[in-house]
Amino acid sequence: MTLSEIANGKLAPRTGIKLDNISKRYGDHIVLDDVSLHVEPGTVTALIGPSGAGKSTFLRCINLLERPDSGTIQVAEHTIQPGKDVNARDLAALRRTVGMVFQSFNLFPHMSALKNISFPQQKVLGRSREEADERSMQLLERVGLKEKAGQHPGRCSGGQQQRIAIARALALDPGIMLFDEPTSALDPEVGLEVLAVMRELAADGMTMIVVTHEMQFARDVSDTLVVMADCKIIEQGDPRAVMSDPQEARTRRFLRAVLER
Amino acid sequence: MTWLTEWVGYLPQMMSGLGVSLLIAGISILFGYPLGLGLSLMVTAKNLAVRTLGLAVVEIGRGAPALVILYLFYYGLPKFGIAFESVTAACLALTWNSAAYSSEIMRAGLQSVARGQQEASNALGLSQRVTFFRVIMPQGMRSAIPGLMGVAIQVFQGTSLAYGIAVPELMKTAYNIGSQDFNYLQIFTLAGLCYAVISMPATWITVFFEKRMARHT
Amino acid sequence: MDALSAVLQGLPMTLGLTLSAFAIGIVGAVPLALGLSSSNLPVRLASRLFVDLVRGVPIIVWLFLLKFGIQIGTFKFNPVGAAIVGLGIVSVAYLAEILRGGLQSVPRGQGEASHALGLAPADTFYGVLAPQAFRIVSPSIATYLTGLLKDSSIASTIIVTEMVFQSQAFARQHPTVEGILPYIIVGVLYIVLSLPVAYLSRRLDSRMRKAIYA
Repeated sequence: MTLSEIANGKLAPRTGIKLDNISKRYGDHIVLDDVSLHVEPGTVTALIGPSGAGKSTFLRCINLLERPDSGTIQVAEHTIQPGKDVNARDLAALRRTVGMVFQSFNLFPHMSALKNISFPQQKVLGRSREEADERSMQLLERVGLKEKAGQHPGRCSGGQQQRIAIARALALDPGIMLFDEPTSALDPEVGLEVLAVMRELAADGMTMIVVTHEMQFARDVSDTLVVMADCKIIEQGDPRAVMSDPQEARTRRFLRAVLER
Repeated sequence: MTWLTEWVGYLPQMMSGLGVSLLIAGISILFGYPLGLGLSLMVTAKNLAVRTLGLAVVEIGRGAPALVILYLFYYGLPKFGIAFESVTAACLALTWNSAAYSSEIMRAGLQSVARGQQEASNALGLSQRVTFFRVIMPQGMRSAIPGLMGVAIQVFQGTSLAYGIAVPELMKTAYNIGSQDFNYLQIFTLAGLCYAVISMPATWITVFFEKRMARHT
Repeated sequence: MDALSAVLQGLPMTLGLTLSAFAIGIVGAVPLALGLSSSNLPVRLASRLFVDLVRGVPIIVWLFLLKFGIQIGTFKFNPVGAAIVGLGIVSVAYLAEILRGGLQSVPRGQGEASHALGLAPADTFYGVLAPQAFRIVSPSIATYLTGLLKDSSIASTIIVTEMVFQSQAFARQHPTVEGILPYIIVGVLYIVLSLPVAYLSRRLDSRMRKAIYA
C-alpha cells in the first residue's frame, strides 16, 4: 500500500483548493496583498521566496491559523469567507480536509509517538482506540519508525519527529497537506529522510502545498512553482521553466542568491 | 537529656496538634489548587468583568497577609452575623491564600507551553476543550509542579497562624503546654522541630523536582 | 474614619519592623550566600542546614521562641526586640538563598575571565560577580521585601503594636458592624504599601541593566 492509501483507507479522494484575493495586515503593516492561488487536485505546489515575503503567513491562512482580513477560500464543497464570521462547522470541515506539518514539528511532548497519531483520530474522527492505533502503526511503519511507537518525542531525533508529525497529519485522512518549511529546523542530512517521505507522498498523488527553501525538491517534485515577494505572488508556473527562465527581475535576483550559494 | 524525656511526654499532645495542622493544610490545598486553576483561567479571560474579578481575588489573596485574612473571617465577618468555627475560618483563609498563589504559578505554567502546541491542535481540528484539557494543561501543570509543592509547604507553615484564632493546632498546643509548665524554650523548640521535620524534606523534594525539570527542557 | 486612624497608629511600627529586619537580612545574607556556594564541603553543608532549618520553621515559632523561650541571666527580649531579631534571622536565610541563586546564574566565564586577567579574588567578587548577581536578583529581593512587610504582621501575636495589633484592638472595642472595617483597611494598606516597592524594583532593574550594558 502507498502512504496515502494507508492514510485514506483506499485511494485518496483528491481535493483541490481555491484561494482568492487573500489580504492580511497587522495594524498598518501589510503582510498579504490580494493573493490568489488555485491548486488542482493531486498536484504539488512549492512556495518559494525571500524571507518576509509572506509565504508562511499565506500558508497559515489556508487553514485559518491566521485569519485573513478578506478573501475567499473554497475547499471541497465549502466556501469560507474569513473576513466575515466563520461558523464552527465550516472551520471544523476545513481543518479536517487540510493537514499541516510545521517547521518546529509541534508534536505533543507528553504523549508517545503512537498516542500523538492516535489521539487526534479518536477525538476528531471518533475512531475507537484499537482502530486508531492500528492506523497509526501502519503509518509509523511506512515512515520507517515502527520501533519508535512507544517513545516520547523528546527521545526522537528531529528528522524522526518530523516524520511522526507527517504521520499524525495523514492519519486524519486529509485531502490536502500543507508543509511549512518542514526541513528548515533540521540538519541537511536528516532533512533528506523527511524529503523522501514527502516525495513518496507526492508520487501517491496527494495534493500538497509546500513552503520550502529546498530548491532541488521544488524543482524535482513540484508541479507548480510559486514565487512570493513583498506580500504578493510575483510569478508562478512550471518549476523548470521558472527556474531556468524567470520573467521577473525580482525572481531572478532571488534565484541567483539561493542557487549561487 | 532531660529535654528528651520531657519531649517524649509531650509528644502525644503535640501529635494531635500536628494532626489538626495537617488536616487544615490538606483541606486548604485540596480546595486551593482547583480554585487556583479556575482563577488562573479567569485572570486570562477575554471578558473584562471576569478578568477583573479574578484579578481582585488573586491580588487580595497574595497582597494581604494570611493573618489578616484569617482575622477577617474569624473576627470580622461575625459582626455581620456570619460566624465560622475557628477551624472552618482557618481553612477558608488558607484556601484563599493557596488558591491565589497557585493561580499565579499555574498561569505561568500554562503560558510557558509553546505556542505551537495550540497551533498544532487547531490544525488537527481538536476542539478548544480537548486542546486545553489534554494538550495544554498536562504540559503546563507539569512545569507548575515544583511551584505548587512550594505553595503546599507555605500553607502547612501558615497553619501556625491559626494559633491567633485559638485553633487547637500544633502552635496553640505548644503554647498551652508552655503556659502550664513554663518551659517555653523546650516546648517551642519541639514545635519548631515538628514543623521542620515535615517542611525540610518537602523542600528538598521540591528542589529535586525543580532540578529534574530544568534538565528535561 | 476612626478605624483608619486606629490602624495608621501601627504604621510606623510596621515599617520600622520591616526595614530593621530587612537591614539585618541583607547584612547577614552576603556571607551566608558565600557559605552556600563555598567549595568547602563542611562550610557549605553547615550553611545549607542553617538556611533550610530557619526556613523550615514558621515565623510565629521563631518569635515565640525568642520572646518566651530566651532568658540569659536577667536578659529577656521585649516584644519589639524579639520581633526584629526573629524576622531578621528569617530574612537572612531567605535572602541568602536568593543571593546564592544570583551568584550561580552569573556565567562561569565571568569568573574564569577575571582569573585569566589576574584580578584578585576580592576584586573578582565585588567588582565582577556581585554586581551582576545583584542585578539578576534585585526583583526577587524586592518581592521578598513585600513578603517581609506582610510577615511583620505576625509580630502582633507577641503584642507588638503594629498595624494588625491596632486593628484587633479597634475591632474589640467596636462589636458593631464597624468592627470589620480595620481588617479591610489593613488588608488594603498592605497591598498599597507593596506597590511602591514593586515599582522601585522595576526601575532599579532597568537602571542596572543600563548601567551594565550601556
